[in-house]
Amino acid sequence: MAAIFPPEANLAAKLVLLSLAGAIAAGIGWWWLFPRTDYARHVDWTVQQPVPFSHQHHVGGLGIDCRFCHVTVEVSGNAGLPPTYTCMTCHSQIWTNAALLAPVRQSLADNVPIRWHRVTDLPDYVYFNHAIHVAKGVGCESCHGAVADMPLMRKVRSMTMSFCLDCHRDPAPHLRPAEAIFDTKWQRTPDTPSPATLMAQYHVGGRNLTECSICHR
Amino acid sequence: MSRQWRALDALARDPAFVTRAEAEFPMLARAMAAQTDRRGMMRLMAAGLALAGLTGCDAGEQGGILMPPVHPAPGTVGAGSDLFATAHLAQGYAEGVRLRHAAGRPIKVEGNPLHPASLGGTDAIAQAEILGFYDPDRDIGLRRGRVAQAWQDLLTAMAARRTRAAEDRGAGLRLLTGRVTSPTLARQIADLRTTYPEMRWHQWEPVTRDSVRAGALLAYGQPVQVRPHLAEADVIVAFDSDLLSSAPGHLRFAREFAARRNPTRTDRMSRVYAVEPAPTQVGLAADHRLIAGARDLARLVPMLAASVLRDEAPADAPPWLGAMAADLKAARGRAFVHAGPDLPPESLALVHAMNEALGGRGTCWTLGAPAEADSAALGESMRALLDDMQAGRVHTLLVLDANPAFTAPGFADALRRVEFSMTMAVGPTETAGATHWLVPQRHAFEDWSDARAFDGTATILQPQARPLFDAISPHTLLSLLAGPAPAGSQDAVRATWAPQWGDAAAARWHDALATGLVAGTASPPIDVRLRDDAARAAPAVPDQPLTLSLRPDPYVWDGRWANNAWLQELPRPTTKLVWDNPLLISPARARDLGVRNGDRVEVRRGDAHRVLPVWVVPGQAPEMVIATLGYGRQDVGAVGSGVGWNVYPLAGDGPVSLRKADGQDELASTEHHDPIFSDAGEYVRHAGLDAFEADPKVLAREPALEHLYRMHPPGPAAWGMSVDLNACIGCNACVVACMAENNIPVVGKQQVMHQREMHWLRIDRYYEGDPEDPEILLQPMLCQHCEQAPCEIVCPVEATMHDSEGLNVMVYNRCIGTRFCSNNCPYKVRRFNYYGYTKEEHRPALARNPDVTVRARGVMEKCTFCLQRIAAARIVADIENRPVGAEEVVTACQAACPTQVFSFGNMAQGGTVVERKQSPLSYAMLAEQNTHPRLTYEGVIRNRNKDVGA
Repeated sequence: MAAIFPPEANLAAKLVLLSLAGAIAAGIGWWWLFPRTDYARHVDWTVQQPVPFSHQHHVGGLGIDCRFCHVTVEVSGNAGLPPTYTCMTCHSQIWTNAALLAPVRQSLADNVPIRWHRVTDLPDYVYFNHAIHVAKGVGCESCHGAVADMPLMRKVRSMTMSFCLDCHRDPAPHLRPAEAIFDTKWQRTPDTPSPATLMAQYHVGGRNLTECSICHR
Repeated sequence: MSRQWRALDALARDPAFVTRAEAEFPMLARAMAAQTDRRGMMRLMAAGLALAGLTGCDAGEQGGILMPPVHPAPGTVGAGSDLFATAHLAQGYAEGVRLRHAAGRPIKVEGNPLHPASLGGTDAIAQAEILGFYDPDRDIGLRRGRVAQAWQDLLTAMAARRTRAAEDRGAGLRLLTGRVTSPTLARQIADLRTTYPEMRWHQWEPVTRDSVRAGALLAYGQPVQVRPHLAEADVIVAFDSDLLSSAPGHLRFAREFAARRNPTRTDRMSRVYAVEPAPTQVGLAADHRLIAGARDLARLVPMLAASVLRDEAPADAPPWLGAMAADLKAARGRAFVHAGPDLPPESLALVHAMNEALGGRGTCWTLGAPAEADSAALGESMRALLDDMQAGRVHTLLVLDANPAFTAPGFADALRRVEFSMTMAVGPTETAGATHWLVPQRHAFEDWSDARAFDGTATILQPQARPLFDAISPHTLLSLLAGPAPAGSQDAVRATWAPQWGDAAAARWHDALATGLVAGTASPPIDVRLRDDAARAAPAVPDQPLTLSLRPDPYVWDGRWANNAWLQELPRPTTKLVWDNPLLISPARARDLGVRNGDRVEVRRGDAHRVLPVWVVPGQAPEMVIATLGYGRQDVGAVGSGVGWNVYPLAGDGPVSLRKADGQDELASTEHHDPIFSDAGEYVRHAGLDAFEADPKVLAREPALEHLYRMHPPGPAAWGMSVDLNACIGCNACVVACMAENNIPVVGKQQVMHQREMHWLRIDRYYEGDPEDPEILLQPMLCQHCEQAPCEIVCPVEATMHDSEGLNVMVYNRCIGTRFCSNNCPYKVRRFNYYGYTKEEHRPALARNPDVTVRARGVMEKCTFCLQRIAAARIVADIENRPVGAEEVVTACQAACPTQVFSFGNMAQGGTVVERKQSPLSYAMLAEQNTHPRLTYEGVIRNRNKDVGA
């Protein structure tokens, strides 16, 4: 009686097994690596907003300080989003009929908040606090990028735990002088105090910043 | 056999119980065998998949909407937390609270240190009221005969009632309210009475306290209130007293009581005798707890009175009575006697006479005018209303803040004879279902009103949020009875106070809101003379061999908090029962009847009878059978409807009979959960005051053990806690505060029976000695934050770790749910999410504390020492470049505790906690395990009178 499988079947079976193993490995690799890609983290994705607010124009062009709108950044965990009222302090005077600003005027008229879409989000089990970072010499730019060059807001850092830990393990190179914290175009110059000096100036280093309880509650 | 035990079954060495208690996950087999329906299974699978999905990619999903306000709220920090004062109403009396807001919404109740009825403490019910505020079942809508109505219809209906009431000058118009202390409500009712001179106002609380009022009338001829100052009392005798649990002002009394209970901090420890039929909170903290049923009490009070007032020595008095009387007399001027509301008025009059004879007036206690707007005998008030309703003399009945259809037998029947009836209620009630109209009432946290505390201090209640559901204020409803224009509640409250304040109105209004009380409104002590015949009052001694006592549940109360899941799942102080109200009987009676916990008995009084399961309470008088009110509500919402048995029909005076019935009910009690094993069998260390005075280190038995592991190097702060067991009265305020602060879910009765309750903090209750009359000891138990933590070394994924400040931290995202840590924890304080309890909760997400992670299924959790509060303080201190202060962080349990049991702080900076830890009474729980807990206890010292046997 003839064999059911011809000799080539051995090869076919091996190939099938190998590709199965390969597929599983690739699958695991995908599962492991994909979330770490910038694509999955939505890095450099511009987010649609109800009003196309330009940080480039307001910060870079007009030179408005970050804290004019994000008022609680120095005192609270949350930097704060400007109430409609803040927008209208200027826009009740200039560009009063601009079509682009219709949702802002509508919000004030109807007393209904503007629904902004989040650009930077952290998981709910992480408690990032703006006040302490700003107080300790971390600039806005370190996480939010060169906002003054962004016509529309986008996320520029991955905001993964390893991104946070890179700085928490070795904060010194990421610190900047107090006057440069809200300057998104600041660059270290030869005159800048050394990282070690800044560490001492800001009293950073008193605690182990990589402890779980620093960020997780 | 352990010297201290928790459950009678354990004492009896019931083999089934022992197996159950010794198994680490005792109900696993039962859970596996339990039937799971297909839909339940699908739900679990879906949850599992969702969870798998989460671990797969939690990556930076864009999402979420940010909505800044249109106008910034004045005086608030964007995402900061703010405190706003208002009050919690307990049976009508105000307890000052402050609500903590996060991101603009109230999330936590804290006490108001300025308020005389709070002094910074709160009780369990006040803590849980924030859950009631967010209760979705409150959305009942304006209804007429269960059909939704428009508000315009209400205006029309009220106009018709005004006409009808005007016809007979209000003779057929009746208003039924709960106990009213609100000056504004009282003013509105007074105005109504001028419009309708013959209108009548009735008040009703199922827990009437009428006896207290009648006792004061007998003794003084007017309904005065006794205001104890327990910090001044050297000897306290409490007959079945509610002084520390529910008497108006109890939080203040508890604070003052506790000030004299720890001999290391007071020059002279007070001596407390509790004579009571069942353990009360005074009894739990007393030096001598003496068991006496209602019949015994009716004889004992006159005997003590004879001894104190006339120096007689009654022949048939128990041996301890003479010693007690001698003690009282020796402490003349510094002695105080108190009797609870369940005693007859004659006994209470005798207590007044004794207090006068003991000369403590002005130091240990004062007399004050009642805080109620109209002090009335509530039982009589209700009887009069029922008679009038039955006789057809009532054409319009307005029920405000009362649920008589459930709590007053005969009301539902009489209601059929009323032409027009209307209920105003915060949520569904039986009465709302029975009356013609249902008007939704604003919750006290979303409305303007005012109320008085026990001492008359007024608080203006301010809204903490916009109304969550479509509802109106009772002040508005009453204004519609007076005239066509509805009054806003703020206007109504201002109209009460502005005339009294004159020109200073704006400033005083602001101060009242900021401080939570209207300055100078406390009523001064009054000078009334004791009537001569008070000393001759003679309580009738009941001749029945069995006394059925109906008592309010400590947390659900008369049933009004029945839809509050935190309160339902709060273990009762002594029985540790949750979600149920079995009949409480003594061990001796259980033996006579041949019943054990859960066996049914039939209790009968007159025509009314109920078949109820029993629960055996060590330390209860054999004569007494106690049924708990507040359960068995049918129309209260998704949480409380159909929970327990309604025992209101058993109210009355007739003889009671009790017999064993067939069958059993499953009851959930946590008393045997989370067993701790110590070879010595001693968990709460205690000794007598004389032993302490002979050797202050009488409780010290720390073994000298070598460290097996290296100790952690000191960090920037060292967090530690000390728990003073002398002050604990078992009120459970800390437990609810912990649930509110830390987003702790409730799990339901079935899951509690599987030992899966999630409380991070529990109060263990131990018995010691004779089960008929045991010593009762309490011990708050929470994560001990061991410096050599057994949980940390067994975690395979380092989900539980030590930080440099001495905290044992739990990283939820690392946890894979092996439960090894819980196995290895000698204190059994870890809690595992067997299901997605948080997801299934009857509670919107916005009610949660945004500073605390909401834990998912399959994750272990436990007390964090309120890490979110530590982190907040740490950030403020780091910004200011200074160490965190010794007492800068106050944990939720510590803040809530009325008696200051907990002290917490940064031990690196000294402070109270360091002082308390140096107390000779300080000991570490299970020190022989060498875990070096950061939490230590101060052992119990009892100031016993050696002339009183045992």
